[in-house]
Amino acid sequence: MSKYSINQTVLREEKYLVEALKEMGYEVEVHPEGAPLNSYYAEQEAKVANLIIRRQHLRGAYGDIGFTRQPGGQFAVVKDELDEHRGYGARWVGRVQQLYKEKQTLAMARAKGYPLISHEVIETAQGEQVRLQFAVRR
Amino acid sequence: MQEKTITVTIDENGISTLDLEGFAGKGCEKVFEDFRGGDMVKVERKKPAYYTAQVDQQEKSQR
Repeated sequence: MSKYSINQTVLREEKYLVEALKEMGYEVEVHPEGAPLNSYYAEQEAKVANLIIRRQHLRGAYGDIGFTRQPGGQFAVVKDELDEHRGYGARWVGRVQQLYKEKQTLAMARAKGYPLISHEVIETAQGEQVRLQFAVRR
Repeated sequence: MQEKTITVTIDENGISTLDLEGFAGKGCEKVFEDFRGGDMVKVERKKPAYYTAQVDQQEKSQR
């Protein structure tokens, strides 16, 4: 035994974020220079994002949802406040982060040579947990 | 010697727990950084084996 930590997932790598959103069933537009988001109220100031899911692909949503690259390198979610209560609030973002972290971890482990021992999805009272176990090559 | 394993658990809120087992001393730091992947650490605990290994190392260097 040696170390234990609890971490908040930070969305940094576009590739795994796009993969996570696609796994959730969305079509994702990638705009390296940024593109405007459509919102419910046309008079609202247009927000710009680098990754965009258009509202026609978001069941019940009022506006598009985007992810904008921040100066520190991480992506921030940009969306219409109205959609917080249409199924695209913190829980939706958490699910995106869960899938992102799963994909990022598996890819990093493959690249750096940590063999995967087990990959499980566990049902808990708090929802699904993804559990990955790796070994260290000697 | 105990096998070294890394367990990553990710919940639906995007919170992950990282559990490193079988490591001694500072040997786990690189592995920890690989698996943290730039995430924000909310809680970090070193387990007893870390300190045991540190003491062993100090005792050896004093001899």
